[in-house]
Amino acid sequence: MSDKDPAVMLELDDVSFNFRTSKDRFDDGVHHVLERVSFKLYENETLGIIGRNGVGKTTMLRLMAGIVAPTSGKVKIKQGVTASLLSIGLGFNNDLSGRDNAFLAAILQGATKKEANNVLEEIKDFSELGDSFEERVKTYSSGMRSRLGFTTALITHVDVLLIDEVLSVGDAQFKAKAEQAMKERVKGKQTVVFVSHSAAQIKDLCGRVIWIDHGRIECEGSALEVLRQYTEATKRKS
Amino acid sequence: MTLTQYFRLIDLQARMLLKADASKLTLGYLWWFLEPLLWVAVFYLVFNVILDSKGRSGSEFLLFLACGKFAFIWFSKTVTQASNSIVGNLSLVSKIDVPKTLFPMAAVQESIYRQSTVYLCLFVMLIAFGTPVTSTWLWMLPVLLVNYLLIVACSLMGAYLVCLTRDFSKIIPLGMMFLLFTSGVFFDVRSIGSPDKVNLLLSLNPLAFLLDANRQVLMHQSAPNAVHLLLIGVGASLLIVLMARLMRKNSQYLALRVLSS
Repeated sequence: MSDKDPAVMLELDDVSFNFRTSKDRFDDGVHHVLERVSFKLYENETLGIIGRNGVGKTTMLRLMAGIVAPTSGKVKIKQGVTASLLSIGLGFNNDLSGRDNAFLAAILQGATKKEANNVLEEIKDFSELGDSFEERVKTYSSGMRSRLGFTTALITHVDVLLIDEVLSVGDAQFKAKAEQAMKERVKGKQTVVFVSHSAAQIKDLCGRVIWIDHGRIECEGSALEVLRQYTEATKRKS
Repeated sequence: MTLTQYFRLIDLQARMLLKADASKLTLGYLWWFLEPLLWVAVFYLVFNVILDSKGRSGSEFLLFLACGKFAFIWFSKTVTQASNSIVGNLSLVSKIDVPKTLFPMAAVQESIYRQSTVYLCLFVMLIAFGTPVTSTWLWMLPVLLVNYLLIVACSLMGAYLVCLTRDFSKIIPLGMMFLLFTSGVFFDVRSIGSPDKVNLLLSLNPLAFLLDANRQVLMHQSAPNAVHLLLIGVGASLLIVLMARLMRKNSQYLALRVLSS
């Protein structure tokens, strides 16, 4: 990353991503997910990525978080910058309590034991789990699991926050509360990449948007313009 | 992630695994003691009562089985569990870039907590049956250390191989079965008859040597072959370094294998 371009936090440069599946499907067993994708993420912006399910949105986040490497091209991260993928629940252990799972998730996301202990009560209150917070997660309803997952994820503090479809959680009341909490989180000095297939959520949270389809960038620009094109295309297809 | 954070995370993961496992069972942590004792009871019943092992007293054979079986269970259960630990944490591997060695190492750490109670049981049994406690028992420290190193090395290798292809998760239990019959768990490798075969078995199968070392130290107050023990320790350490570097280098590739298989 060049020092002349300090505002760029992260960049995907001509990135393609494919993998060989265990069964011989797709193109000779090779699944092409992303094709020559390039874009830059600037400091303090909230970049939206929109597209239908299965077009490669989550893969883009995994590449940005360094979970997987691109098949070709480069993912460049500004030196010293930390990027973390925020999604509902880091895979709960059903035989542990909500408290234990939240504690473990916080530690895995880089918190110290003291920091993790400090946020547990906050997680308990926000997730509205009450006494169930001390019960095993296997006794939770899907809504309760989502609430715990969202709240646990919300406490992550990193330079670049990569958010994957986290706002489809719980009932209407909790969803509104979650959206409000997310808005507060992304405003101010936080660089965010927000992935969703919901145009309304993207419009609400993002300044700049990338529309991705069939592994390629279909359109990139202001939220209003990209969402207009995306909505029109979706209507044409349906 | 600093080294301190890494080891703290391993320990935390291990404790959580223990807690989760105990919460599923009515007898909870009591199974740490019950499981190895039941194993020995089964073997004693089969080999000493039903098949009537000749030339050994009942208590001697019981201790012989306990020394071998406890060490073998530690190795086989840990390596099998650790081998499946990365693929078993798919949801975590798909969301966070953590060192992949974390998962097998947490399984190994969990086994240390369990094994501490197992060896406590063994020591109590040995003393209860009148085995003299001598300074030779101090040899158990290097024997256990080398045992641990071998477990770590095999666990890392198993976890790596299962990531590459899940077929290895079928092969590894077969390998454990093979080791069960070739490591002298319920027979004394020194009683094979041919000294060449004994030497060959002890040289080629480090687990056979370690099981024998457990018995030599605890039952016969005899020190194991220190050079042989050192060689296994050095070999296992080199394999650990190699596997840790390989897993670090190929961390993203391993994540992709787990996600796409």
